[in-house]
Amino acid sequence: MADVLVADSIEKIYGEGETATRALEAVSFEVAEGEFASIVGQSGSGKSTLLNLLGLLDTPTSGVVNLAGEDTSELSRRQRARLRSDTIGFVFQFHHLLPEFTVFENLTMPLRISGQRVGDAERKRVSELLELMGIGGLEKKNANQLSGGQKQRVAIGRALIKRPEIVLADEPTGNLDTANTDAVYDLFRSINQELGTGFLIVTHDRGVAEMTDRILEVSDGKLVQDVRNDYV
Amino acid sequence: MLPLIIASRFLRSAPGQTALIIAGIGVGIAVQVFVGSLISSLQDDLVDSTVGSSAHITLLPVDDEQISAALAEEALQQSEVTTAIPVRRMSGLYVSGDQSTPLSITGGEPEDIDSIYGLSDRIVDGEFALEDGQILVGTTFADAAATGVGDELELVLPNGESASYRVGGIFDLGAAAANERLAFLDAESVGEALGLGDDDYSAIEIQVADVFTSTELAQRLESPGVEVIDWQSENEELLSGLAAQSGSSLMIQAFVLVAVALGIASTLAISAVQKTRQIGILKAMGMTDAAAGRIFLLQALILGVTGVAVGIGLGYLLIWGFSFAPVDFSVRPSPTLIAISAAIGVAVALASSVIPSRSTSRVDPIEVIQGG
Repeated sequence: MADVLVADSIEKIYGEGETATRALEAVSFEVAEGEFASIVGQSGSGKSTLLNLLGLLDTPTSGVVNLAGEDTSELSRRQRARLRSDTIGFVFQFHHLLPEFTVFENLTMPLRISGQRVGDAERKRVSELLELMGIGGLEKKNANQLSGGQKQRVAIGRALIKRPEIVLADEPTGNLDTANTDAVYDLFRSINQELGTGFLIVTHDRGVAEMTDRILEVSDGKLVQDVRNDYV
Repeated sequence: MLPLIIASRFLRSAPGQTALIIAGIGVGIAVQVFVGSLISSLQDDLVDSTVGSSAHITLLPVDDEQISAALAEEALQQSEVTTAIPVRRMSGLYVSGDQSTPLSITGGEPEDIDSIYGLSDRIVDGEFALEDGQILVGTTFADAAATGVGDELELVLPNGESASYRVGGIFDLGAAAANERLAFLDAESVGEALGLGDDDYSAIEIQVADVFTSTELAQRLESPGVEVIDWQSENEELLSGLAAQSGSSLMIQAFVLVAVALGIASTLAISAVQKTRQIGILKAMGMTDAAAGRIFLLQALILGVTGVAVGIGLGYLLIWGFSFAPVDFSVRPSPTLIAISAAIGVAVALASSVIPSRSTSRVDPIEVIQGG
């Protein structure tokens, strides 16, 4: 399988001179299409920094991030925004829904941002996604009227609306209880199997990481372990 | 399109804040519309009562010569000129006992006289008739001389002889001085009294469409043997008074606009801070910096256009309300002035969005996302 995401010796340094802090050091790995992987590490290990770099939300101090076959180091802010929106779906610890909009509008926002028309086909896709998330029929509800678990599912739906090649998830269940956490991982797994979407999930919880097929461990800004998870 | 949808949704999500700022712009624009219309109506009235029924430019012969009616025809060739008539002027003295009152008599064709002085609408007794031997006098003179329509009026003419004219009508030109001093006769009667030839006139009286173009036109009408008198050079005090009034009115309006601009800018700045999280999320989903900045520009545009519309409505309401005030004066809304106020209002709203728009385009999605 082709690689969706390639990190080649990426390094991130915050600040300059004596106050400079090295958050990441020479991290290299590849994620193939349809992979179901996790990045695990303690708080402050650099795993969120890594995710921001992989998601083109930030640029590395040195090294190259290659996304969907494209070298991103020479791209402008605008080009990176476009590539990010076309290839990556984001899920964060906090749902980050827009409270002024309905569930349907929140879900279709990525399409509107990239200038796509929202027609019947998209309406159908939204209702299918909501069904898949187990929250069918909530299209017209305002985002503020949902429970925490429902909001996170809408956020996952939003990450999938543009059929991204990979979903980057940063502590996606950090705000959820155990029952909702299990439900979300089951959901990720079924999306991975049914739609073939790749997943890269950042978590501090090794238990959660062990639900994925591959575990990348980050410690003190370095990639210390990259193992296939045979338990699954 | 999407920034517009987001802008309007942001505004609707804080209805109180939105209504307040629209009211703020509305009141500002209403003040603009009302004060502006009030001042321009006041000035129009003042100018109209000063020169509305008199000549704006007068052509006089130098050295007591006579002037030809052909000059009136020439003056009419100028595009600004609405009326140009040849007149004959003389003075007459009304003597009653040991009292004498001087009259400044203008003689001309009835329709010519009417086109400048609008006498047919200003006759309060008798009628506008300048047939042989009939004279029109003002109300103040008629009262002082205790004369009425149909009475004979004996005047001492410049040549020392006396002549008698029948009062055909009494006019009110709206100013006591004019009503006391002015009198009108037909051209022939004055010509006879002065012993003038058929094409001998004492002056050409000219009116123009826009009274403030008179100075420039006066310069163009200058020619040898002709003295050109322009109303503006004879009313410098009035004009400097008008200019001072316009200046202070403009200053009030400018300060109102500054207050409106500060209001919009502060509301938008607060809104930009309140919506930082949403802007960060939109950017994380691929919205460009420019599109994110446009959201606040469009919010300002919506606020500006709505506020201006409310303000114009409110301004008209104030003007309408003023019509009930117990004053002998009406405020007329000036469409040009309202259009300018509206354009400035919207432009000020847009300008106020520059800072929030720029701070929006600097929002870093990572900070927002990690801030939770």
